[in-house]
Amino acid sequence: MARHKQIKTEDQEDPEMNISSMIDCCFLLLIYFLVATSLVSEKKLDISIPASTQSSSSQKPPVDPGRIVLRADGSATWNGDLTVADVYNPDAQPGTSEYRSQRELDQLVEQLKNYKDLATSVQAEPVVMLTGAPSAPHQRIVDIMAALAEAGIKSVGISTADPEAN
Amino acid sequence: MAKKNARGNDEVNGNVNLSPMIDCCFLLLIFFVVNATQITVAKDPSVKMPSAVSCSDLKDANGCIVVNVFSDIDKMSPKALEKYNKAYAPNSLWGVADANGNTIGYTSGQTQELTDFIKKQKENFKGKGLEDGKIRLYLRGDMAAPWERSSTAIRCAAAAGVTNIVFGTLPSK
Repeated sequence: MARHKQIKTEDQEDPEMNISSMIDCCFLLLIYFLVATSLVSEKKLDISIPASTQSSSSQKPPVDPGRIVLRADGSATWNGDLTVADVYNPDAQPGTSEYRSQRELDQLVEQLKNYKDLATSVQAEPVVMLTGAPSAPHQRIVDIMAALAEAGIKSVGISTADPEAN
Repeated sequence: MAKKNARGNDEVNGNVNLSPMIDCCFLLLIFFVVNATQITVAKDPSVKMPSAVSCSDLKDANGCIVVNVFSDIDKMSPKALEKYNKAYAPNSLWGVADANGNTIGYTSGQTQELTDFIKKQKENFKGKGLEDGKIRLYLRGDMAAPWERSSTAIRCAAAAGVTNIVFGTLPSK
């Protein structure tokens, strides 16, 4: 595209095409896109809410849904009693071990993987019910969603009841 | 930038060959043009994004209904607060951008309006031939926003018939 052609005859001088203006335009465009492109792009975590119309039959599902309860302080429990996430510390600095352990909820991932295996063994879809305190930070919800994504569970029911109301 | 002709009396044509440089420039240009068109979701600077391990790239933003969830204003940085005040009505908890790029803020008493907006966006996408499964709520929640606000936005989306939710995050460091 960029190579210019040279047609030479005996008595003619080089009929060169002036491409400097085109190069100038290219550089301008290049600089524009360099500046406009953001290097850190946003990522995503997918979930889907089980539709309420699916529960039309009165049959009990083969496996009970897993239950995650998130408290206002950011701690979370699995199926009622097992603590799977410690109290959330918003001041943990990126790069520290505390920050890593806050993001990677290993215990929860392990429980979720076990639950998924159990559901798959009886050909049922693994469904998790998430109950979060209204004042729980959004970051903690994202941590739990990341654990669900890591375990391969995509169907999440969201309960709006306050777990600390009683 | 333009090529120079340096010719002496007894010198042979001493032109600098610019073609490899131009080729490189074109390659870089094409790379940045392709990259720039990938990211099409509106990014609100007032929202401080949460980070997550095991998140994936947003490959196709088509069908995403973007809803920003704000934290309390006392938790916003001065710069974010300035942009929030400029773009949204006071006490807005959720922020969206319409088809013309105009920002709209919804307060706690305007959940029905938020539901109507999501419904309208969904109809727009359906009018463009998008399937129901490809229409998603893209939730850009601030990391310090209370869960109540995010869950209300999800509830509004469910009421509008959008059950696929995408949580916007940044990769964990």
